Amino acid sequence: MDLLFKNKKITGILTVLPSREVHFEEEMGNYNFSTAKSLKLKMAMGYNKHRIVDEGVCVSDLCCHGLEHLFQQGKLKREDIDALILVTQSPDYFMPPTSNVIQGKMGLKQDMICMDINQGCAGFVLGLIQAFMLLEQPTVRKVVLLNADVLSRKVSKRDRNSNPLIGDGASITIVERTEENSTIWGTIKMDGSRADALMIPAGGFRQPSTSETAEMHEDINGNFRSLDNLVMKGDEVFNFVQVEVPPMIDELLERASVEKNRVDYYMFHQPNRFMLQKLADKLEIPREKMPNNIVENFGNSSGATIPTNITFNIGEKLEKQEMQLCLSGFGVGLTWAALLLRMGKLDFCQTINF
Amino acid sequence: MENFLEQIAELLEVDVVNEADELKSFEAWDSLTILSIIAMANENYGVVLNAAEINGANTIAGLWSLIESKKA
Repeated sequence: MDLLFKNKKITGILTVLPSREVHFEEEMGNYNFSTAKSLKLKMAMGYNKHRIVDEGVCVSDLCCHGLEHLFQQGKLKREDIDALILVTQSPDYFMPPTSNVIQGKMGLKQDMICMDINQGCAGFVLGLIQAFMLLEQPTVRKVVLLNADVLSRKVSKRDRNSNPLIGDGASITIVERTEENSTIWGTIKMDGSRADALMIPAGGFRQPSTSETAEMHEDINGNFRSLDNLVMKGDEVFNFVQVEVPPMIDELLERASVEKNRVDYYMFHQPNRFMLQKLADKLEIPREKMPNNIVENFGNSSGATIPTNITFNIGEKLEKQEMQLCLSGFGVGLTWAALLLRMGKLDFCQTINF
Repeated sequence: MENFLEQIAELLEVDVVNEADELKSFEAWDSLTILSIIAMANENYGVVLNAAEINGANTIAGLWSLIESKKA
């Protein structure tokens, strides 16, 4: 679906990462594979270290830490927040919305909108789309978009398919209206018929968690996980990305009449290095223009990977200058989406630890 | 097919492969190798394979016929 937004801009991004860093080698013994095979996987996929929350840490903890930092630094005022959107698949509770919990903890005003959105890898793009739509209301001047997940708590430590790449984290993105004549081009597609490619089978109302859903089983590849754990069909997700994402990006650029080499950076979701290199090759984009180093440094934190990618790799540049960026998220749903926009001279674009 | 045999030997970490060789008999056969084959088939032959199809191909020759059948 083609989308178009006028006179909206991102004015700041803060990434909040748990300070606990776990190295691939520390967890290698959990997997049912030889050391040689595990090291080969590490090399090919670009695994090294990832950031994992301590037991009991929830997304609201990461978000409140980041918001408090911005209040204290004078980069954001409590009373200026007209809408708080939280995109997460690991909320504190099923009810109430975690965004309301955060509003309460932070002492924000009542005259505002709080909204939780259940999205994952495409959650930054979907959250921005929602923020842009809210800003159509004259009373909504500033939207705070939170992308946060602590999915390491749902991944089996004995699952070589998912555990080495998972990361926890949160990001806070400020979205506002602007008088500048700006156009943001967007696109989003969904395919719920492939919803089982990435899922947590048990723990919802369809299949509540019981002692049986917590039992660990071995799959055909020698990974152990339970129905309470996140499960990913790696081959299907790989094929989905290689087949669906390149034509989507080509069409978006064509619609905006922007040539590939005019885009300064392709800041994409970070599933693993291997997938991003193949994606860059398929799009005929130099690999340097599509950073792929987030999984090896921090892990894949679902909807927070694009902001993490931005603050870590081009944060300093974006505080000073403006750039043409193409953002794209793809995964759970299945959902794939992209935005083409100019971004820069941000009030802040940084990473902090929790 | 000669090119294919060379490419597949590289992915399986051996010097040469024969058409009759069983995929599962290779030391390097695992989910990562399967993903590498998916990527190679997509890149070099423009076809989309999944893990179940590759496992079902059984032999090197079977894998080649699978790719050929998808090219049509």
